[in-house]
Amino acid sequence: MSALEYSTSMSSGWLAKKITKENRVGFAILVVISIAFIYFAIATPNYLSVFNVKTIIRDAAIVGIMGIGLTFVTLSGNFFLLSMKETAALSIIVFAMGMSNDYGFIFSMLGAMSIAVLAGAFQGILIGLGGNPIIVTLGAAGILYGVASWWSDNLVIFFKRPHDAEWLGTGMVLGVPTITISFVIFAIIAELVLRKTSFGRQVYLVGANRAAGKATGHENLPMAIKTCIIASACCAFAAIAFSAQMSSAQANYFSSEFGSSGDLTILVIATVMVAGNSIMGGYGSVLRTSLGAVFISATDNLMVLQGFNSGARVLSVGLMIVLSILIFAYVRRDSRSEG
Amino acid sequence: MQLSNIRRSFGSIHALKGVDLNINHGEIIGLVGENGAGKSTLMKIMSGFDDGFEGEFLVDNVPVKLGTPQKAQEQGIAIAQQELSLIPALTVAENIFIGGDHGPTVASLGQLSKMARPFLDEVGLENVSAKTLVNRLSIGERQLVEVARLIAHKPNLLILDEPTAALGESDSNRILEMVKRLKAAGKSVIYVSHRLDEIFKITDRCIILRDGLSQDSVDTKELDTNKLVSMMLGRELHSMFPPRDFSKNNTKNKTIRFEVNSLWPDRTLVPINMKIYAGEILGLAGQLGSGSGEVLAAMAGMHDTQGGSITDCYTQENYLPKNAKQAISKGIAYGSPDRKYDGLFLGRSISENLSSPNLKGISSKGIIQPQKERPLVEDIAKSFTIDLTRLAQEASVLSGGNQQKVALGKWLSISPELILIDEPTRGVDVGARAEIYNKVREIADSGKAVVIASTDLLEISNLPDRVICFYKGCYVSELVGEEINSTNILQAITNPENILLEDAS
Repeated sequence: MSALEYSTSMSSGWLAKKITKENRVGFAILVVISIAFIYFAIATPNYLSVFNVKTIIRDAAIVGIMGIGLTFVTLSGNFFLLSMKETAALSIIVFAMGMSNDYGFIFSMLGAMSIAVLAGAFQGILIGLGGNPIIVTLGAAGILYGVASWWSDNLVIFFKRPHDAEWLGTGMVLGVPTITISFVIFAIIAELVLRKTSFGRQVYLVGANRAAGKATGHENLPMAIKTCIIASACCAFAAIAFSAQMSSAQANYFSSEFGSSGDLTILVIATVMVAGNSIMGGYGSVLRTSLGAVFISATDNLMVLQGFNSGARVLSVGLMIVLSILIFAYVRRDSRSEG
Repeated sequence: MQLSNIRRSFGSIHALKGVDLNINHGEIIGLVGENGAGKSTLMKIMSGFDDGFEGEFLVDNVPVKLGTPQKAQEQGIAIAQQELSLIPALTVAENIFIGGDHGPTVASLGQLSKMARPFLDEVGLENVSAKTLVNRLSIGERQLVEVARLIAHKPNLLILDEPTAALGESDSNRILEMVKRLKAAGKSVIYVSHRLDEIFKITDRCIILRDGLSQDSVDTKELDTNKLVSMMLGRELHSMFPPRDFSKNNTKNKTIRFEVNSLWPDRTLVPINMKIYAGEILGLAGQLGSGSGEVLAAMAGMHDTQGGSITDCYTQENYLPKNAKQAISKGIAYGSPDRKYDGLFLGRSISENLSSPNLKGISSKGIIQPQKERPLVEDIAKSFTIDLTRLAQEASVLSGGNQQKVALGKWLSISPELILIDEPTRGVDVGARAEIYNKVREIADSGKAVVIASTDLLEISNLPDRVICFYKGCYVSELVGEEINSTNILQAITNPENILLEDAS
């Protein structure tokens, strides 16, 4: 999908210009990927059925919502939170503790979200004060997972069905899963925030050039705090939806059992990267992230139907990250080379 | 070396439409032209970074195909680019031999520095030890080390791309001395600079590029500034600097707009007091590191200070901004000396750049109002003659002069009361320079207070109504009216002992 999105979004202005040797190569790669994808999609029975397409989008939703949050961090030039998986883990432990002790959905949710927001703010402050995002968020990852695992004794916490979070976990509205609808709503709101609000503009400006941001009165400290909170909150929301669906929680749910493509943090980062958001910040959109999530989910689903095992699927996600970084770096470098 | 009818296009853009250039042994050629005239493209071709051109390229009457910088090196062509490529954490000697191809495979630092010595002497760095770390050197010295590294390859032709753009007067002179020495040693030099006085000082001949075409080469002796500028622009430039009326600018008739009280920026030696009048351009003269730039940055909250304050004489408010955000809220605009570092958001649109300091003003309840942003941005673009059709393009596609206009123009969005500009025209061609000077004058004429700091002697002696000179972190003297000329300023900023003694007695 990233290829399709790329070709449609760029075709008007981009093809109109003379295509130089180098970006022809980048374009060719994208076309090859698209054709290969379409071929396999048609060649695989049931792949393009309404039911399967709905499944693909549904599967994309949880990682997609997390990716949408993380996009803010990346666009603002603060790299990634490498603590997505662990934030999710602690959130669902808090949530499940609340649910199993009959505090009800609202309180359990609020408790889990508050913890996530605190974790985000903590990381945001350290990053904003000049801490290296990789080190800070790796450290935070250890702390969050440690607390989750220690507190829950690494046991599975069940809560009785039916519970008042069913609507979020397995509920449907007009035949569409609630989580899919949430994904779409999150994407629309986030895209509007980025495009239309002064906060969104600041995200892009600070991401494009932190020093110039400082010189024009847009400091990175508040930016890092806000974007990390957004990422952590989105992460917690999606994790809670997953927990509600399972009616249970365990600290290592997101380590290897989640979905089928292995590590959650890598999946979320792949979602942000695949459709060409700039890893350095300042360029990209939530639309790209959403399409990235759907593309990854579609590929994964395709590979399942083709009978690949989970190792091969993890491999494909890794390859997608590497390839997309290469392709977009190549295409973008060339498009702005002559000034 | 001889180039004839060199052409190069990027897509539909014809960067070079036919350039002829030849250079003899032991000759210094000045390559001049406005930003965007094709100088950079031509240099890339000559130094082997770009081989997608058409035309004839001869070295010693033999056609060559370069393609890579290594091949250019084999042909004896070396280029010192504007952006330094030294590794700051290594020593001078290590940097000189870092290519690895002309040094020994294994060597002690002692051996390396012995080998580096002759090259350092040749560029005039006799007093610098080859064992010094590069990050201990001044920018001027680094520039010279860069050239020493090139000389180590024993080139016949050196291309110097604006070697003095970031340098003060005395460092610049060292570069010029070095170029003369290279010439004496029989080497050819292509010297690229926006500083026309340097072109006149050292070059034998000038090649003028305009719109990708080379004009006839002219002996420098036959040129004067006006002729050179009109050849570069293709039209007469009546005057680079807007006229000053010193009689009108008698400080007695003027109202004090801001007072700077005991402002003590870090890395300066004594606190500074000064008055800034409404409607004037105040110039802070000084070499790099003299403290003039630091004073400006401190006033804008962009530099640490030991204390001090600014008094707004209209509101009687007394404050010292801690960061840009506070400065902006007080109506202080600060144009930094390095637009690429913190003056521009290169990857964002020109329009977003222009409105960036005043997002509050163009939004209501946190939502950006396009009907407020558009007129604001268009007004700025019009007054700075930025092409309105290009507002949606990335700032990175603009030439240096236009980028500087955007970097400065964005400050109009906050309707500032005090405009501080450090190096208003670094790396900017003459045409855009004149436009910027006129605009700065226009802003001052509207009653605002403008302070510029500059290491460019021509600029600092011709633009401001009043000049304060700095030397090694100290206030030296204030020049008004007819006292403002390059001789007085040069003396004050390079060798002020006489002035200081006079004052003391």
